[in-house]
Amino acid sequence: MKKLLVFSLLLTVALGACSVLGSSAQPSSVEYDINDWDSVLEAARGQTVNWYLWGGSESINDFVDSLYGEALKERYDITLNRVPVADTVDVVNQVLSEKQAGKDPGSVDLIWINGENFATLKQADMLLPAWADKLPNSSLVDWDNPAINRDFGTPVDFQESPWSSAQFQLVYDSARMSEEDLPRSYTELQDWVKQNPGRFTYIAPGPGAFQGTRFVKGALYEVSGKVEEWGTFDQALWDEYSPLLWDYFNDIKPYLWREGETYPKDENELHSLFANQEIDFSITQAIVGAGALIEQGLVPDTARAFVFDNYMIGDFNYVAIPVNAPNTAAALVLANLILNPELQAVHILPENGFGLGFGIDINRVTDQDVLKILLDASQRLGVAATDPADLAKSLVGDTAAQYQGLVEDGWREFVLQK
Amino acid sequence: MAPAILIISVLFGASILFGLAQSFGMMTGTQQETISLAAYQSVFSGQGPAGREFWSSFWFSLWVATASTFFSAIGALAVAIWLSDRKKKSQQIDTLALNWNMAFPHLVWAIALLLFFSQSGFLARLSATFGFIQTPAEFPVLVLDRFGIGIIIDYVTKEIPFLTLILLAVLRSQAENLDVVAENLGASRWQQLRFVTIPQVMPALSAGSLIVFGFIFSAFEVPAILGVRYPRMLPVLALDFFLNQDLNRRAEGMVISFVITVFVIIVAILSQKQEKGTQQ
Repeated sequence: MKKLLVFSLLLTVALGACSVLGSSAQPSSVEYDINDWDSVLEAARGQTVNWYLWGGSESINDFVDSLYGEALKERYDITLNRVPVADTVDVVNQVLSEKQAGKDPGSVDLIWINGENFATLKQADMLLPAWADKLPNSSLVDWDNPAINRDFGTPVDFQESPWSSAQFQLVYDSARMSEEDLPRSYTELQDWVKQNPGRFTYIAPGPGAFQGTRFVKGALYEVSGKVEEWGTFDQALWDEYSPLLWDYFNDIKPYLWREGETYPKDENELHSLFANQEIDFSITQAIVGAGALIEQGLVPDTARAFVFDNYMIGDFNYVAIPVNAPNTAAALVLANLILNPELQAVHILPENGFGLGFGIDINRVTDQDVLKILLDASQRLGVAATDPADLAKSLVGDTAAQYQGLVEDGWREFVLQK
Repeated sequence: MAPAILIISVLFGASILFGLAQSFGMMTGTQQETISLAAYQSVFSGQGPAGREFWSSFWFSLWVATASTFFSAIGALAVAIWLSDRKKKSQQIDTLALNWNMAFPHLVWAIALLLFFSQSGFLARLSATFGFIQTPAEFPVLVLDRFGIGIIIDYVTKEIPFLTLILLAVLRSQAENLDVVAENLGASRWQQLRFVTIPQVMPALSAGSLIVFGFIFSAFEVPAILGVRYPRMLPVLALDFFLNQDLNRRAEGMVISFVITVFVIIVAILSQKQEKGTQQ
């Protein structure tokens, strides 16, 4: 018995040692030169691309399979293997574990990613470097825009390529409230919350709940009256304004749902409180506003999106390729395909079930027919969407990445645990 | 036995080793890997984001696990004594009823509780419809509450059948007539219970309770579903730090996991001792 235990302990140690030492890399993909797109297409032919993406929405899954799956097969002879994940952080952990286990090639070709998950993989040096600007369709991307070349403040460095865009918006039920009564700033919201105790809450900021963090950052912009300044990290600025930020949230705390004793942990919990009429506002990031949520049956048909007059943070979401991807060429082709202007026009329409905004800058599209398709599509976003003019007027970029952790930790310490 | 022990100790042993390595700042996936006790220091000293929550989470976990175990044990004792008096015929039905409850995973049970007891849940709406309360929101806060009442309700309702089955196994396998003998010797109903039945089941009950305690202390899904954002039970806290975007924070998540592991191992050893004590 004792011998057995010792033996298995030794075996365990040996196993551990193997996986740490045995990480010798080996080239996996067929040869191609990223500067010669034809060679990429040639290398990708016949490959299967394993695309890991959040699979929580049936409508997005169908959309991806039918639109991109068919186009990849017909145009490039590539098979799409969509791998649904519950949370993108699961893929991040899978890639990190593969690195620790020395698995090369790994199993992930492409990841739908942004924000903290991108920052994590970049920090771990697990992303294919400098490729996004080499895609033919990259000329349609406005790489000079800080909202694109920085992701939650982390420099993108062409290690990920945009897919679509999103902007923070609130959702109300037009059957319960009229448009004139909506708060249009954080200050007006403060008054509204006090007049309607228990009828408002927001998602607890923290890892995996970026929407909550984003809502708090919007308030940081308003209490400080600054936007641009938060784009670079400045400890003094944070020390000056963060107390005001916590004052704001502590001030409304007693009037929140459950008196601020607890907060919803994610968007689904917020939607369900909203749908159950426990609270009067939910949120969305989609360009079609509440449209996609109505399609999924998460909120009532009368739900509508709206924005404050300012400080509504918008951003882009991307696809990235791990360094140990088994089918890099096919992943590059797919990353290029999703920037195709005609497919971009398809993805913004609410009836297609995706509902996020353009990843490309449509002003860069030179073909007049294609441009017309794009403009047409942006006129057909449905009644549950926010007026594009309002969206544009209130749009601001995200803060530098360092504030992400400060906001999340600070909120826990000075608001939640108070 | 041997192959099973081998597989279990390799699989678990490997993950414990990996976890330990990560808690010392190794294998973070970042370039700056140094072996240090920094994560332990920040967790136990109460400084930093992990430390500020660690002790409140620890005491909260202890409270939930202790309260749940205590009420489960009391409840199981009462149910087992009540059921053991019943006639042979109904025994199978009793066992079936207890097993039926165990067929539900904790995940399902917790979500069911949420649907029934939350302030927009079934009972709140029913009470509002029948006019017991004005609006569903007036319904008392029984889940997602500060004191873990929802979590405790979940565990107590799930663990009573579990412990009852253990106790019934003891009571039904013992020489049947001990209490009849006691009765003949003039023991009252209370004396039978106090001096015959309870001493009979006590070793099984305390060993079972330790298992339940260890399970509750280290389980994730029920507090994740029925708990508040603060304070959180240790497993919820550990996962949160393990999934933090900053890879260096993961060491702190692993420290917390390791605390849970050590605690559960101690409880398991106690439980083993308890069982050995009864066999002698």
